[in-house]
Amino acid sequence: MTHVIRTEQETKKLAGEFAQKLRGGEVVFLNGDLGSGKTTFVRGVAQSLGFHEPVRSPSFTLVNRYKVSSGGINEIVHVDLYRLKTPDELRALALDEEIGRNDAIVFVEWPQNAQGLLGESTYSIDFVINGDSRAITIRQQSLTPHQPM
Amino acid sequence: MRVLGIETSCDETAAAIVSEYDGSFVIEKSVLASQAKIHAQYGGVVPEVAAREHAAFLFPLLEELGVPRDGAGIDALAVTYGPGLVPALRVGVEAAKALAWCWGKPLVAVNHLEGHIYSVWLDGEGKIQNPGTKIQTTQSNSVEFPAVCLLVSGGHTELVLMRDHGEYELLGMTRDDAAGEAFDKVAKLLGLPYPGGPEISKVALNGNPRAVNFPRPMIESGDLDFSFAGLKTAVRVFVEGGEVGRWGGDLDIADIAASFQQAVVDVLVSKTLQAVKKVVPRSVILSGGVSANKLLKEILESELRRVAPEIPFYVPELSLTGDNAAMIAAAGIMRAKRGAFADPLTLVADPNAKLN
Ligand SMILES: Nc1ncnc2c1ncn2[C@@H]1O[C@H](COP(=O)(O)OP(=O)(O)O)[C@@H](O)[C@H]1O
Ligand SMILES: [Mg+2]
Repeated sequence: MTHVIRTEQETKKLAGEFAQKLRGGEVVFLNGDLGSGKTTFVRGVAQSLGFHEPVRSPSFTLVNRYKVSSGGINEIVHVDLYRLKTPDELRALALDEEIGRNDAIVFVEWPQNAQGLLGESTYSIDFVINGDSRAITIRQQSLTPHQPM
Repeated sequence: MRVLGIETSCDETAAAIVSEYDGSFVIEKSVLASQAKIHAQYGGVVPEVAAREHAAFLFPLLEELGVPRDGAGIDALAVTYGPGLVPALRVGVEAAKALAWCWGKPLVAVNHLEGHIYSVWLDGEGKIQNPGTKIQTTQSNSVEFPAVCLLVSGGHTELVLMRDHGEYELLGMTRDDAAGEAFDKVAKLLGLPYPGGPEISKVALNGNPRAVNFPRPMIESGDLDFSFAGLKTAVRVFVEGGEVGRWGGDLDIADIAASFQQAVVDVLVSKTLQAVKKVVPRSVILSGGVSANKLLKEILESELRRVAPEIPFYVPELSLTGDNAAMIAAAGIMRAKRGAFADPLTLVADPNAKLN
């Protein structure tokens, strides 16, 4: 489903609606170029699940965690593989402990840098800038629980 | 006091020995895995992230540093315990705990950002290139408190009030991207190589900083927080929107780089001046990787001279702007002098460690 977005507020609103669908255990891949709004989207999800501290870019830290308490969801794990040079380096992050945890949602920016090592995602979201507007496309990839690496 | 410093919070594995005599710090030797001989010896290039879990790197580095196996002559160990990436931090923390425990020497846990602040207490000139020579350094009591510290790096953009050694208060920080991250990402957008900071500055030398009026995010937000994500997007939209041609066709990468750099520097300088106005400090400190940026240093210094000529301004020696262990050892010495030791049985890496 593709949404045409004009403002940052609309991105956050869409993120809030998306958050309502989450139950825990989902893995969400965020695809899109620099500045296309991936981190902004995660900020919207975190805020709508009751996290009120700043959601910063994990490009440097690689993984940020946000404690929430909403339904069965206790934590948002915000991963950013922007700086990853080889998928091998992924092992250092021990993400296999997070992926498949049914009380956490894992968001991954730059998932292509994992070259498949993260397995399949539950949702895949594409962010595209088209001049003054943006397109956000949300696709559900699987209904089954996630298969960790 | 003679302290062994260990730093593994990020991409760099680092170790150093720093001594203190009558309040003066001397870097005896400071080594980085990325520069060291062992680098070639143990497998060529260090992959940025994987190096973090390579505990194996640290001990060859300690050998290169000349640390005796029994710890003789070392009075205490200082290690970065956070913030940073847990697997990376753990390498240093666990090694330091083991050494402290075996040697029966006191252990000090240092916050990485505190380390960056202490880099201005050191004189690193020629140190990393000519290890082993002793250089007389700045007096450790020369920086007067309170000090306003602007910490800028790839992962941090923070304004901190330092009331005294070990006493910090966060005044403001980035709400999204760090300033150094913005440099790296914009460099990528402009097709410049990594690391982006130095590349942008180099290219910007031939550009017009007034060519493009990029936004100065949050410059008038009234608080001391920063935001750089929007600037990255503004550069992107500008480049892709064909604006380059529309602006008369003579704009090039150098103009965009210079205009972007100017926007970042304007925001950093403006917020620091706002902090100075608010707390009226007795010193201003600029540190972290981005403190190597010449334009930032120059403009911050000249603006401070203009609005508060009586307040001294401190910047680290260029070789100490990036991550290193000498700054960790220096911060560790000041903690050790206050008796602020960590327990080698219980110290754990803290990815979200706060300055306190
Ligand atoms: N419609 C929009 N949706 C999301 N972000 C937007 C939008 N319009 C402008 N922006 C700005 O673009 C920037 C997107 O940055 P960010 O979310 O960090 O991107 P990414 O994580 O994809 O690199 C933010 O500064 C945001 O304010
Ligand atoms: Mg991002």
